[in-house]
Amino acid sequence: MSTGTITLTSSDEVDITLDRAVAERSVLIKNMLEDLGDSGEAIPIPNVNEAVLKKVIAWCEQHKNDPASANDDDDNRRKTTDIDEWDQKFMQVDQEMLFEIILAANYLDIKALLDVGCKTVANMIKGKSPEEIRKTFNIQNDFTPEEEDQIRRENEWAEDR
Amino acid sequence: MEDNAELESFRRQWREEVSRRSKPKAPPAATPAPTAPPPTRLPPTRHEASHRNEVEEEGPPLASFDPEELAQQVGQLSVESPEDDDFARRRVTEPTSALEHFERAVEKEAEGNLGDSLSHYRKAYRLDSTVDKTYRNKHYAHVWKKTNQPAPTTTPVATHQPTEIETLPTPQLIASFAHYPIPQREPLIEGTPPPPCPISTVPSEVIVEILRHVALNDPSVFGRMALVCKRLAYHFAHEQHIWKRICQGKKFGFQGMHYDFACDLQGNPIYTLGERYTPFPRDEPMEIPKPLSSWSQVFQTLPRIRYTGVYISTVNYTRPGAADAYQNTSWNSPIHIVTYYRYLRFYPDGSVVSLLTSTEPVDVVPYFSKENVMAARTPAQKKHQRRLSDHGQSLSGAADSVPPAAMNTLKHGLPGRWHLAPPIPESDTPAEAWKPHSSTDRKPLLSDERDLIVESEGVESKYMYTMHLSLRSPTVPKAALAGPAPPNPSKNTKLSWKGFWSYNRLTDDWGEFTLRNDRAYVFRRVRGWGLD
Repeated sequence: MSTGTITLTSSDEVDITLDRAVAERSVLIKNMLEDLGDSGEAIPIPNVNEAVLKKVIAWCEQHKNDPASANDDDDNRRKTTDIDEWDQKFMQVDQEMLFEIILAANYLDIKALLDVGCKTVANMIKGKSPEEIRKTFNIQNDFTPEEEDQIRRENEWAEDR
Repeated sequence: MEDNAELESFRRQWREEVSRRSKPKAPPAATPAPTAPPPTRLPPTRHEASHRNEVEEEGPPLASFDPEELAQQVGQLSVESPEDDDFARRRVTEPTSALEHFERAVEKEAEGNLGDSLSHYRKAYRLDSTVDKTYRNKHYAHVWKKTNQPAPTTTPVATHQPTEIETLPTPQLIASFAHYPIPQREPLIEGTPPPPCPISTVPSEVIVEILRHVALNDPSVFGRMALVCKRLAYHFAHEQHIWKRICQGKKFGFQGMHYDFACDLQGNPIYTLGERYTPFPRDEPMEIPKPLSSWSQVFQTLPRIRYTGVYISTVNYTRPGAADAYQNTSWNSPIHIVTYYRYLRFYPDGSVVSLLTSTEPVDVVPYFSKENVMAARTPAQKKHQRRLSDHGQSLSGAADSVPPAAMNTLKHGLPGRWHLAPPIPESDTPAEAWKPHSSTDRKPLLSDERDLIVESEGVESKYMYTMHLSLRSPTVPKAALAGPAPPNPSKNTKLSWKGFWSYNRLTDDWGEFTLRNDRAYVFRRVRGWGLD
């Protein structure tokens, strides 16, 4: 277990200092530190702004003692959209922030956080109709009526009724 | 609800009219309106006779058992999409044209009023001998409407419609969606900035990850995602690893199927040293079974029991009733139409509950569960639970809020167990146990891998029932198949009967039930069932 602190620089040039152990929840940062050694210099995170980075770090703080790699075995995910309480609260943010967290987790390679984010989005989709899903995410329907009908027929079986 | 008001007013007018007409002369079609109490809701219109020429026996499927909507839906079992609404709305005016007479006749027939129905049918045919065709075109046109062919003609040459200039076959169409972005909704008011659409900024691999969670939670929602926009339609068709995962899963896939009994009749698990068969074990590299080419096809095609709803077999049969004592005309004896239902609900642990009742789906299905059946069968315990629930958490507990009428029906529920036929029929499978000794055709009984065995307790404790069912798919009308985008309904959602026996434990006797009236079970999703 590594000790000490490191500094990250967000895309809007704000330095944030944090425990190395916390930062290493990010596989990207962990690998970087292992490859380059800790030079004491700030590590630039060019894709993530301060607000999002702080949020991500808060999550890493909370989960710094979790078992290292959440095993990908799907048996543990029988309840796939289950999210623990703290994470649920943590994810109560507006949609733009939610997707920024997801993007940051993806970029920084924090699998467990990415998972929580995706589950949160999946929960927003649960039980909705296509039109409701579009409304929820402000997606434009880009099908022509004929195409939409064709796809509906093709995928009719999935409705299972 | 608006429909109901309309319906009520129609009923009132109709009753007035009947009584008006019955005064001057005793009408021949005097299924007396006053004696038949007006039903509180419509009987199912899905009556055998009204469908005789139609899409086999299954009308368009019912959407889902949403308790609030059920009351409306049950009266319109064959009405689903908004475009069919005219089928449900009852006409208030006196029929004049042949079609109107025909419609009225169908309506009366559905109400069980065969006498009036017949007279309307006769009038309709006298006015127009092809009225049934007109009727079909009006009410069932949607069955073939969206295909390229205007009518079920078999000559493919002459039927090209000019409106659809070019239709890509669906796989190509979907493939062409690959590189579309998720489009952002246009602003509500022109000139203002569009509403934020952060999902459109997310890279493919994350979209797929989200879809995976959606799909594992409920594949049918994944299906709905495909209708949101082109990009998602592409992922739906092409993320085969998601489908593979679903196939191997327990919740919806084949890992959750049983090919041998997994519990006893009361639902206590049977432990076995041997490994249970599963078609797609997780720890081995799997191949897609031969004639199929993708995992989504595997999921669609292979026999699979659904845990997300109820299987209902609706049986209508007619029975001659006693002639009216005040009428000496013997040609006017009433005919009763009797409707009863068989319900089956399957559980992933290998248990099942079976119920035979005349109670309509709307009154029983929302409460149809193992727990409630058990509670209903042990009255003392039930009362105790009720008391408790009066004070405490009554919203979440399923058994708590069951209306007494449903409880009364549910006490006839029978617990049991089920398994699908293992793919290779072996003579020494435990399936032997259920087989009636008298039966001579032993071999073919389990020869089909779509076969399903359901064993349940009998009405009396000395009996055990064995149902032999077989999974079937709803038939698609030929006319619809001819189009470029044929409908692709869920497969294996019907359970057709192959045999039904009772076993007397005391005398070791098998008795066979005749299945004269029995109809196939049809699957209906029920909101919230089988999901976490």
